[in-house]
Amino acid sequence: MARHRRGVLAALAAAASLALLAACGGGGGDGGSGSGRTTLVVKTFGQFGYDELYKKYEAAHPGVTVKEENIAKLGDYAPKLQQWMATGRGAGDVVALEEGILTQFKADPGKFVNLLDYGAGSLKGNFLDWKWQQALTTDGKDLIGLGTDVGAQGMCYRTDLFKKAGLPTDRDQVGALWPTWEAYLATGERFTKAGTGAHFFDSSGSIYKNILIQQGDHTYYDTSNKLVMESNPGVKAAWDQTVRMITAGLSGNILSYSPQWNAGFKKGTFATIPCPSWMLGTIEKQAGPENAGKWDVAKVPGAGGVNGGSFLAVPKQSKHQKQAADLVKYLTAAQGQTAAFQAKGNFPSSPQAIDSPAVQGYTAPYFGNAPVGKIFGESVKALKPLYLGPQNNPINDEVTNALIAVEQGKLSPDAAWKKAVGDAKRLVQ
Amino acid sequence: MRKAGPLVYLTLSGAIVLSAFPLYWLFVIASRSNDVVGDWPPPLLPGSHLFGNVSRLFAAEDANFLKGMANSAIASLAVTVSVVFFSTLAGFAFAKLRFRGKNFLLMIILATMMIPVQMGIIPLYMIMVKLGWEDRLQAVIVPFLVSAFGVFLMRQYAERAVPDELIEAARMDGCHTFRIYWTVVLPALRPGAAVLALFTFMGTWNEFLWPLAVLESDNPTVQFSLNQLSTSYYTDYTLMFSGALVATLPLLAVFAVSGRQIIGGIMEGAVKA
Amino acid sequence: MATHLRPSTAAPPTRDAPAPGAHRPREKLLSRLDRGGSPYLFIAPFFLLFAVFGLYPLGYTAWVSLHDWTISGKGDYVGLANYRQLFGDPDFWNALGNTLGMLVVATVPQLVLALIVASLLNQQLRAMTFLRLGILLPIVTSVAAVGIVFSQIFDRDAGMANGLLGLVGVHPVDWRADKWSSWLAISTMVDWRWTGYNSLIYLAAMQAIPRELYEAAAVDGAGRIRQLRSITVPMIRPAVIFTVISSTIAGMQLFTEPLIFGQGPDAISGGSLRQFQTVSMFMFEKAFRNFDYGYGSAVAWMIFLVIMLLTAINFFIVRRMK
Repeated sequence: MARHRRGVLAALAAAASLALLAACGGGGGDGGSGSGRTTLVVKTFGQFGYDELYKKYEAAHPGVTVKEENIAKLGDYAPKLQQWMATGRGAGDVVALEEGILTQFKADPGKFVNLLDYGAGSLKGNFLDWKWQQALTTDGKDLIGLGTDVGAQGMCYRTDLFKKAGLPTDRDQVGALWPTWEAYLATGERFTKAGTGAHFFDSSGSIYKNILIQQGDHTYYDTSNKLVMESNPGVKAAWDQTVRMITAGLSGNILSYSPQWNAGFKKGTFATIPCPSWMLGTIEKQAGPENAGKWDVAKVPGAGGVNGGSFLAVPKQSKHQKQAADLVKYLTAAQGQTAAFQAKGNFPSSPQAIDSPAVQGYTAPYFGNAPVGKIFGESVKALKPLYLGPQNNPINDEVTNALIAVEQGKLSPDAAWKKAVGDAKRLVQ
Repeated sequence: MRKAGPLVYLTLSGAIVLSAFPLYWLFVIASRSNDVVGDWPPPLLPGSHLFGNVSRLFAAEDANFLKGMANSAIASLAVTVSVVFFSTLAGFAFAKLRFRGKNFLLMIILATMMIPVQMGIIPLYMIMVKLGWEDRLQAVIVPFLVSAFGVFLMRQYAERAVPDELIEAARMDGCHTFRIYWTVVLPALRPGAAVLALFTFMGTWNEFLWPLAVLESDNPTVQFSLNQLSTSYYTDYTLMFSGALVATLPLLAVFAVSGRQIIGGIMEGAVKA
Repeated sequence: MATHLRPSTAAPPTRDAPAPGAHRPREKLLSRLDRGGSPYLFIAPFFLLFAVFGLYPLGYTAWVSLHDWTISGKGDYVGLANYRQLFGDPDFWNALGNTLGMLVVATVPQLVLALIVASLLNQQLRAMTFLRLGILLPIVTSVAAVGIVFSQIFDRDAGMANGLLGLVGVHPVDWRADKWSSWLAISTMVDWRWTGYNSLIYLAAMQAIPRELYEAAAVDGAGRIRQLRSITVPMIRPAVIFTVISSTIAGMQLFTEPLIFGQGPDAISGGSLRQFQTVSMFMFEKAFRNFDYGYGSAVAWMIFLVIMLLTAINFFIVRRMK
């Protein structure tokens, strides 16, 4: 793949410099009027950690300037994306797509360049299988995007609270406490009986999501985009398992990302939380230096876990589709993903990057030097491809809200389940 | 004028404490470090980190806070001047002048206040694309140069604040209508216009959804910048509090200026009576 | 200020006013043009800009509401299907109920309080400037600031509201879990933000009331409350109408406060069981979260119609009271 890409790069570089020469009448690279330069606009949300990569790319491609326009929150970025697509203007040359949004575009891939047309087909082996499948239409003819990061998930836990509760604190022993979610529940009950004053986990939403993605190859939809939430036993199993944990009193009923949740990391109001790779930075900042070493990372119960992840795509409205596709390939290549991991902790979706010494050897000093590169790597490799339907995220939001209502004591588990199913049906109407 | 008793002072003082507390508390947290967040009891006295937090604010990546402040100042000022001018003009016409279709046109203006703002985003963006104004500051100015709210407020205010005799007298003097507006009506509307100016400035300064839709992070408004200070996953509270605090300072300045106008109006009212 | 403009028939003609009789026909024509044309000229800027930036979005929204819509953009024409679905959508009716409920809970005390505050401020006070500016501080506190502060106040575990309740032995309230508690919290935010705003409008209007009225009433032995009811309120009636109508409209479009109150990435749903989701939030969720812009547009038109209806009712009541 590397050789192939270098070839493309060289050709592109040659083309770009030719264009530059033509524009500047044989002058040097400097003093160009600007008409020969191509500016590629990359639209991102949150933190992709590409600043260094842009510089390298520009250095290798004279005449190309990369400009990133970033929106801090995904919730603010998505409506903008929608508006760019509806009006055919504003999307720039490369857009970042979160997996839930990408899934919605799959039903109608016409808004994006088919990356298979730009030689991306040969890159299949550079991505985790399920990540590759996520961006590929069901007929396998259209590839909307190339994977960037995956929210590889571990189980973060408070060593001081575990110690207080008489549980082991070593991360391998902790991981051995919960080979299954049933065992995680049992551990939680033990923890609760010990009376530390803390809850076993923050809230059930992320627990449920992790159980759900271990249940098979699809969740709310089957591969023909039919809603099968009721008939898919995996969904109900994940729900029931989560409800058992709530009724056992393990949940702190603390809304994710709320102020009390943020403060909870510092104050130790909950003992465990499923933590995607990008959350480690959050925990470190929220818990503060005085709690260094109190949080640690173990494996998740069951086989693997992931929460979120993104892709880069080239909108059809881009005027530089070929160059944009080339930039996407560069940024999502194993080296690019490794660099992004080193810059912002975004865990790679490329097996080569995951197996690279930079990732495998990566330890998190704040988390008692936990070998998180290794833990997260095993977590994502254990996952099987999972099909997500178009309204996957909104449906999941409804289910999460139903679980919260159970935690709040507002609905019985049965009523909450019925409500979630009803909400999902209305969403796909 | 009636003299106020001690009970009035007590009530008003209580109300002021309630009104001012959030602003004060903003200052308290903005001057603290992040480790007090979530503490109980909450900190009630300022700390020593204000300077550090504010300098972090201006250095924050992708927020362009200074530019956001400047952009918002320009936009808010332009919109305010325009809205006050056109609203007093139209409000005067609706309150004091006779013309055909007046009530119907007033109803239309009222109806435009009822349009939910959030839905306009996509069609308005389409217009901006046609005009080539995406990512330009005029995109957050031009659509807001007039305000239905302002026309309505000025119409209601002019009804009582501008005596008909005054207008008729000016007409007898041979003043044409615009001159009447300029020399008679506008001065009489001053307290109300100051209120409108304050509200308009505030509204433009606080506008969030539309700037977020049409601008980009390299050319933001102040609320856009503030929003860029935290990601979905991590909230740096002291940074956000200092941002909110700094973003409030220009409003306080505007408030002080227009507040004097509003209070100046009271003196005039006394003279007029 | 108006003295120098006081008409004086004996005064010599000024430059602006030609001598009577000098050019009678032309002057008359000009004057008629001025009287007939000026009103339209004065209101033209509003309607011109509105036509471009207001009417088009409104019409576009109506058209879009007749279409299916996905994240990729507009899809097939579906007629009134979005509206039919809307009428059968319990979440919409729930949001409408919440909005109307919070409208009442927030607006009534807010306007009464504003009236009291304005009349307290409308008298001779020591440190008048300070008091007036102080009471109006919420107006200038930026939205972001309000959001951050109030989410602390109504935090379940470390919030000041629960802390104070705890001092008097009341159990901590999970503010977001119930309708009553979330409505109360949001109404508090709304009232905190907008009471000063409305009292400023009242205060500006009160300044136009001639002082003699109060003095005469005082001589007649009318107490303070009596004066407020029989002089102040009737005299500032246009301002009261304005605040009632604009509070109704603003209340129907309530968005920012409940969103801030909601917290987290899924705040737009307004609580686990949509306890405090308003119609504007519902519309935003449909249009920009579920990317069903057609359905969201149908919601927008429904909100528009409901506000029109409420305003008409307001007007009807005002007429009757006249």
